[in-house]
Amino acid sequence: MTNTVAIAARTGRPATSSVMGRLPEFLTIWVPLLLSAAHLISFSLWTIWISFTPSTLVPVSGWVGLRNYTSVLATRNWNIAFDNLLLFGSAFVLLSLATGLILAILIDQRIRGENVLRSIFLYPLAVSYVVTGTVWSWLLNPGLGIQKLVQDLGWTSFRFDWLVDRDMAIWTIVIAAIWQSSGFAMALFLAGLRSVDADLVKAAQIDGAGPVRMYRRVILPTLWPITITVIVIQLQFAISTFDLVRALTNGGPGIATQLPALVVYDLMFQRGLLGRGAAAAVLMLLILLAVLLPYAAWRHLQRRRANHA
Amino acid sequence: MPITTTRRRLLAGAAATLALPAFARAQSGVKPRLTAISQWSAGSDGAAITALGKKFEERGGIWQHSPVPGFTTEMMNKLRAQIIAGDPPACSQLKGPEIAAWSKIAPTVNLDSVVAAAGYEKVVAPDLAKLHKPGGKWIALPLQIYSTNMLFLSKRAMDKAKADKVPVTWADFNDLAEKMKSGGVTYPIANGGTRPDDGQKFEASLAGISPTAYRAAIMNLDKKALAGPEVKAAFAQVRKIADWMDPNVGAQPFATNAKRFIDGDMGMMIQGGWAQGVLRNAGFKLEDFIITPGPSDNSKPVFLLNADAFIFWERKEPDLQAGQALMAQLVMDPAIQTMYSQITGSIPVRTDVDLSGEGWSDGQRRTAAALKDAVANNQAVLSLAHNMAQENGLTAAMIDVLTEYVKNKTIKPEQAVTRLAEAVEGAR
Repeated sequence: MTNTVAIAARTGRPATSSVMGRLPEFLTIWVPLLLSAAHLISFSLWTIWISFTPSTLVPVSGWVGLRNYTSVLATRNWNIAFDNLLLFGSAFVLLSLATGLILAILIDQRIRGENVLRSIFLYPLAVSYVVTGTVWSWLLNPGLGIQKLVQDLGWTSFRFDWLVDRDMAIWTIVIAAIWQSSGFAMALFLAGLRSVDADLVKAAQIDGAGPVRMYRRVILPTLWPITITVIVIQLQFAISTFDLVRALTNGGPGIATQLPALVVYDLMFQRGLLGRGAAAAVLMLLILLAVLLPYAAWRHLQRRRANHA
Repeated sequence: MPITTTRRRLLAGAAATLALPAFARAQSGVKPRLTAISQWSAGSDGAAITALGKKFEERGGIWQHSPVPGFTTEMMNKLRAQIIAGDPPACSQLKGPEIAAWSKIAPTVNLDSVVAAAGYEKVVAPDLAKLHKPGGKWIALPLQIYSTNMLFLSKRAMDKAKADKVPVTWADFNDLAEKMKSGGVTYPIANGGTRPDDGQKFEASLAGISPTAYRAAIMNLDKKALAGPEVKAAFAQVRKIADWMDPNVGAQPFATNAKRFIDGDMGMMIQGGWAQGVLRNAGFKLEDFIITPGPSDNSKPVFLLNADAFIFWERKEPDLQAGQALMAQLVMDPAIQTMYSQITGSIPVRTDVDLSGEGWSDGQRRTAAALKDAVANNQAVLSLAHNMAQENGLTAAMIDVLTEYVKNKTIKPEQAVTRLAEAVEGAR
């Protein structure tokens, strides 16, 4: 027995050391990856299964086909939530992109106090969405916040009552979400602006390009991979928005600012309808996939093109 | 001395319970122990349940209460997890039709013998009793009662309106609101913007217009009643109320407006009895406001019931079974109910508790009297807005319609009637 061990040790030394050498890599990359993948996939599969069962208060087995889906799709709540998601998602992503880009370009002008300004614009990201929602719910309340302040200053006919206006309330969520996350877009864009090849800029300057033309024709075109990344990250945030709305409007006035995540929570935990809640969650997953799959395909295409070049 | 007699009866009941085989075996050797979960952790609710725990310990029991602070739904998530794990608490907070719904997912304790021995059924409002005995057996016990349709009048707003008569019917109420408006009260109705707030406006209107229609339409979901003229009239009344409310209220609770109500900038609140505690905790005096039963068109008080309760889950351990028996006796005890309601500001479940003594407020006395009258006239009904009339799923679907109606003034009452009926159909 000692013999075999000795032989194994002798012959196996190089192999063992290479396995040992790769062990940290193994532990830090594969174990967490497999665990979270298993976690994600098993719970997603479980949710999909529940969405086809007649579960109410607790999960039960059984098969009801698409009944949960048809009844969720027939509710006013879901339809309002879906329309809101389209509006909120596109407005929020476009406007936060624009705000972030403008902030990044302004900060990029080698100004004094850049670090301070950058921290200020990034700071909202460190605040929890519940806090953001609560603070804005007071600021936007017409009887207490901005409207009252301006009216007290003397402009008595000033109106800014979006929070309690059914048609405009969804825009208050857009405002608060932009306040929260345009700093994030700014940080990414700034990194992109700083990595633009200095020679390229110099060449453009020599050719006599003014600042506007330089940004439009030289610098911004190099930023578009970052733009796509920002769009995807912001979109998946928009689709899963929950805490911000819950604190800011709680889906109101009435049910005017419902979003899919609110509907899922409401069905599962407040109405005690696990099956329908799971169906709504699966619908959310499908919306998310509709965004992420094209992105993955695009990334794949890019990589192939890069390899060919 | 009604309390003494009931107490004697209760003692007899306790003795009878001891004679019952299951509990007798359980109580003979072991020290009673109770595992309980509720959402009551802070404020007067937390103080009340702590006091109840002390009484439990005084009787030789071991009290193991795990509060789950936050919304009721979070307490329910814990309960759900424990039930799925096969380890339910011996007793947990649960109310209304949820008692029947949850009793289907795990076995409960049959409390019939303890309840019968205490002669409890005679002193509980019939509709309330029904909720706690789904399938004909008592499995849960109500603990305290609130009315969700009390009318709070601001003294200063009454002065501005030069009014001294408390409104009895909806016509009186509407008159008073108009008088307040012309007397300089900015918003005759003080309100919050939450879902139950909006629901309460509707249930108070419908029950006040016709308790019979309320029972048929909201509690029994009778199709004809749901489309009936009373429901439409109730929506019309809600529109009037909504027009008198401050449109700037977002999703805030009603308590945000407490000061403007007391100052007479707002005139009336349709709120639950708990608002009395909120106003007093905010430092306002009882002389600043009047509490009276909500408007009722037949002039007899209508009582919209909201009751907290404990449900008892089946456990095999003898000490937990003994604990459940002891807890049941305590919850039915008039002295314990008195102690509990005096802390929280509610009224006792028992209709035979005397509230004339010290420790009760006028508001509580008036509420208790209203309940007695309402029960006698068959006008005590179950609150929709506070999850007493229907299971949570149906309630939420109906409140969706009500809250949208309150906030969207372009919806006509007849449209709201159709939407309410559709919501009921869709959620069933």
